[in-house]
Amino acid sequence: MKKLLKYISPPAPDDSGACSVLYELGGITVICDAGGCAGNVCGFDEPRWFEKSSALFSAGLRDMDAILGRDDKLVEKLARVCEQVDAKFTAIVGTPVPAVIATDYKALKRMSEKKTGLPCITVACDGTKLYDRGEQEAYFKLFEEFAVDKLPTVKGRLGVIGATPLNTGLTEAGPIIKSLKEQGWREVVCFGMDSGLDDIINLSACEELLVIAPSGIKAARLMGERFGIPCKTGYPILDEELLKKAGELRDKKVLIVHQQIAANALRDRISGCEVICASWFDMIEELMQENDTHITGEEQFTELVMGGGFDVIIGDISLKRAVKGFGGEFIDFAHYAVSGRMRKTET
Amino acid sequence: MNKAFYITAGELAGAGFENVPDELVSSRHMIYSSPATLDFNSPGAKGFGVKRAGLAVPGSVMLLVAPGCCGRNTALLNELGYNERFFYLLLDDTDIVTGRHLTKIPKAVKELCGELDYTPSAVMICITCVDALLGTDMERVCRKCEEAAGVPTVPAYMYALTREKRLPPMAGVRRSVYSLLKPQKRISNECNLMGYFAPMYDSSEIYELLGSAGIKKVRELARCKTFEEYEELSRANFNLVLNPEARYAAQDLEARLGIPFIELVRMYRIDKIRNQYRLLGQAIGAKLDDSQYYEKAKSTIEAFKAKHGELTFAVGECVNADSFELSLALTEYGFKVSEIYGTVGERNFVFIKKLAQLSPDTKIYSNLSPTMLGYEREGDIDMVIGNDARYYHKDIRGVDLNDEAQPFGYDGVIKLFEALDTASGK
Repeated sequence: MKKLLKYISPPAPDDSGACSVLYELGGITVICDAGGCAGNVCGFDEPRWFEKSSALFSAGLRDMDAILGRDDKLVEKLARVCEQVDAKFTAIVGTPVPAVIATDYKALKRMSEKKTGLPCITVACDGTKLYDRGEQEAYFKLFEEFAVDKLPTVKGRLGVIGATPLNTGLTEAGPIIKSLKEQGWREVVCFGMDSGLDDIINLSACEELLVIAPSGIKAARLMGERFGIPCKTGYPILDEELLKKAGELRDKKVLIVHQQIAANALRDRISGCEVICASWFDMIEELMQENDTHITGEEQFTELVMGGGFDVIIGDISLKRAVKGFGGEFIDFAHYAVSGRMRKTET
Repeated sequence: MNKAFYITAGELAGAGFENVPDELVSSRHMIYSSPATLDFNSPGAKGFGVKRAGLAVPGSVMLLVAPGCCGRNTALLNELGYNERFFYLLLDDTDIVTGRHLTKIPKAVKELCGELDYTPSAVMICITCVDALLGTDMERVCRKCEEAAGVPTVPAYMYALTREKRLPPMAGVRRSVYSLLKPQKRISNECNLMGYFAPMYDSSEIYELLGSAGIKKVRELARCKTFEEYEELSRANFNLVLNPEARYAAQDLEARLGIPFIELVRMYRIDKIRNQYRLLGQAIGAKLDDSQYYEKAKSTIEAFKAKHGELTFAVGECVNADSFELSLALTEYGFKVSEIYGTVGERNFVFIKKLAQLSPDTKIYSNLSPTMLGYEREGDIDMVIGNDARYYHKDIRGVDLNDEAQPFGYDGVIKLFEALDTASGK
């Protein structure tokens, strides 16, 4: 069955992605759920939860709140938190519960802003989509709301979009910044990782934007339209050990499974092989090469691998369970959004 | 940032249960999923949430029918060897509005049963908030699954939306895991211990006390290795319910199989433990001589106090105890409890009232209050008890008191003080 997962656990959902983007920006983030979704985010998908504190809360919805659509009660609770916790904005992240009852996020935004006096971002997640969709919407809403004034361009300043643990397996921006400074950039800002809301407000001062995961492309394009900032894609933090293993491949048919920009970056470093990139997550059409594939389910992934004649798969090792009959080499390329493992490689 | 909200035991008892401040009532504020208490706030995250508990039936598998977000953290259980027993039927945005997924469930159950190289004893269908709102009749769907796959199929309701209702998820799942038991001839000298998904410590005196009363076989779900052993649970003459969350399951067994039940409570006050055993003896028509266990617990406490003096504790709620009863016990033993991180309810308010008489200045916090984001220690604390308390006070020695093996009775008291003694480093 298309939607049946028999060997792998579900990848990170959209609400986790939205929270990942919002996590370090100094707002009050409310997951519009009964508690379980917030537990998933805080206890699994957000490795920073134990390292960096964030005002991330569950709305603690109960059945009658949902059945009666008590948005006013939610806003009351939000206003109360605003009195207790310093914040620059509020954010409301959806889950299956508001999706089932068709919550009007526009109304919720208006009500919240009126009650709290703070700008409010709403991200209409429903828990059925994957993390990249939540990230995409969160980046877009944030940039749309806060990156509004054109500032003088600062030469050598690079803005990075897509730096979340789910995309990179990192909880700190250090390795990204280090790599990009080595490439000649004087100042590097990873939006949402070791940076705050002010960096988004001042985004227009960037000379260029680098998108390191497909979830950042929509927001980057908005900034291109609004301020004329050029945008590139790339993944500057490929693991050395992984590069070494991939670099040794010759005359092989290779399948790389990851988020598209990371997969493409690795493909660029492999020579003398036929390399196909595939992703469980959204792929940017312009960045796809012939035979690149969007994976829609476990069954399709198994068919792709078993029928593709691949010699090597490079992907998160947790996916190996779904392709037990694969007789080739499986090189681990950890993807936090798939397995919840931080960045490292092992065969 | 506001300071973390607290109220003293004296103030709270004075105000009465009807006037518990909003900050201590989770339905009246946003919920902080504190790193200290994650397993509490997420019914599937850690420990025995609905997902893991639902697999308590030996040889069973679980199909989680939900949006992907509900199954995401199940990967945590893979480390415990559960990945061979979990399957997922993911819902899309149309499913969650129309409920069309219900017709796919029997097909999915059939497919996964067909793919396994063994026949599972049962398939647990775990459903979540979506189906709570859709009003799904999962009993009916499970019957369809049984017809399709030929395997007993049982619903497990992971309805976080109904956590404070009459039948919260952890009570419902207990009913589910006992629901496969069938009537059979009951044996007069056999009984079950109900309440936990992990076995009790073998050292608990309850086994010997029941043995002294003529009970030859004491069974626990968590000790059942095979489905055949599980089926023997319905031979019991009576059930001892050790956790109130198992009451509903015990009532169901009484109604279906005619097995009566007696409720006991886990406590840390040895005089109350003694009283409870006396009442248990009366209920089963035997005199339970618990004097040696009582004396050992008493001397363990006295020895600890003589060695360490009148320590001041902070007590959390991620513990195998009621944090207020445990705090009351410590106070009655002559120690101080400066802070409690707990959830105030009608059942434990009686302990708060007693605590207020002995230690009115004890501060009571709610882990779930957003203000706990700004928690800072104010007073002196010598030792801490509980995962959450240890999170707040990483620099202070303490014990988790949160093992999977369950403490009970005098043995639980002895184990606590022995663990505290070890943790003290003296």
